[in-house]
Amino acid sequence: MSNYFYVAPEQLIKDRAEFAQKGIARGRSIVAAIFDVGVVLVAENPSASLYKISEIYDRIAFAGVGKYNEFDRLREAGIRWADGTGYTYSREDVDARALANYYAQHLGDMFTEGQKPLEVEILVAQLGNKFRPTKLYRIAYEGTISDEENFAVLGGDAETIKGRFAALEVGHLSLADTLKNAVTALAGPERELPVGDLEVGVLEDRGDRRTFARLSDEQIAGLLT
Amino acid sequence: MGLPLFDAQSDPGPSFVRFAEMAGLTLPPAPSEHSAHATTVAAVRYADGVVMVGDRQATSYYVANRDVRKIEPADRYTALAISGSAARGIEFIRLAQLSFEHYEKMSDSALSLEGKANYLSPLIQRNNLTSALVVLPLLAGWDLAHQCGRIFEYDGAGGCYERHDFAVIGSGSPFADSTLRLGYRADMNRDDALALAALAIYEAADNDPSTGGPDFVRSIFPMIVTLTSEGFRELDQDVAASTFRSINDRRSESGGVAGGTLR
Repeated sequence: MSNYFYVAPEQLIKDRAEFAQKGIARGRSIVAAIFDVGVVLVAENPSASLYKISEIYDRIAFAGVGKYNEFDRLREAGIRWADGTGYTYSREDVDARALANYYAQHLGDMFTEGQKPLEVEILVAQLGNKFRPTKLYRIAYEGTISDEENFAVLGGDAETIKGRFAALEVGHLSLADTLKNAVTALAGPERELPVGDLEVGVLEDRGDRRTFARLSDEQIAGLLT
Repeated sequence: MGLPLFDAQSDPGPSFVRFAEMAGLTLPPAPSEHSAHATTVAAVRYADGVVMVGDRQATSYYVANRDVRKIEPADRYTALAISGSAARGIEFIRLAQLSFEHYEKMSDSALSLEGKANYLSPLIQRNNLTSALVVLPLLAGWDLAHQCGRIFEYDGAGGCYERHDFAVIGSGSPFADSTLRLGYRADMNRDDALALAALAIYEAADNDPSTGGPDFVRSIFPMIVTLTSEGFRELDQDVAASTFRSINDRRSESGGVAGGTLR
């Protein structure tokens, strides 16, 4: 017979939260911001093939920090959910808020009932149109969902980066200015981020149904000069 | 639908069809008595790509619809045309479009043109073996890796065959195919290929009651599409109108006879 020791729920949650936070803090951060005509997502990511930012649907993008395999599985589930919903109903019925809620439920379940909480923090961004607003939903490891105004920062050093970005970004600027501010905020005062270490995704209307675009190193360099 | 999460063993991968089946989004096709069908679509390869021309009529016992689109972009560089049951065909196009995009998003790289062509085989097989309503597609696209236009045709059991010259689907095929066989030359330019493909559809409409020809009364003309290094492009109905008007004028002058030369 095995022995179970009593652990107070407060202690259990504290331990789990610490565990998840430690995992997330190891990763580098992401800044997502609304600019004058779209949404830009900027990640510090030295890998050119293991992406942190990706397309979910026509007007929805995804970003994740923490353990790659865990947030990548969430990304795949999001694409399946969006394509499945659009196929069953209509493309117009695919809404970022519904997806963010499903993510929040899943992360919440894993936090309280899973073997271990997921060591991830994710963001669902939606580019608005006549029917829906432009939105940034941040979902934390324990399932807390927050509707961020203007910009959101994910990752270990979020509070510091948030402060730096808020000081620079006043109102909705152009893509180039917002990107510059995001990179400055991510880098901090002591270092400079090379273009090769940046991953940038943009949601913007270009006349196509699909609004997501991944920027190349040349495009990023062009916007930063 | 909740958040579709799978463990590593049961994960459907980047295939939308496999996912949709696992999630119960698709129903097995059921036979139905009424179906609008019949069509002619021709695809011709030329020096810089592929041109496709397709009629616009849906026929059941009578004309069901006069302005159906039977050629649709499957993605930026690929066109998919359908013949056979309209209901199953439209669903087929929807599934193919979604599948190619789904794959691209899931794996962050687009399927190769051959990959897209092969992906359709089991879809055709599944549809045609389980349903009384048969669908036969025609796939044409610009191959980004090999920098050329390519055409793929299928048989009813899902077999996929690449055609290096031209391909035809639908009930008017015998007439369109004969026209293309007589008029085709390797490395034609776009205008010649377009004129030939349009003539093939004109012949099919002239001889097959289930294929719609140019409708000068309602100004509805067969769809003309090109696939080149710039991707899928649908030509204006004005271009289609003038192309078919010139065929029609020549045919009236000769008293309705094609008359030895290909006109």
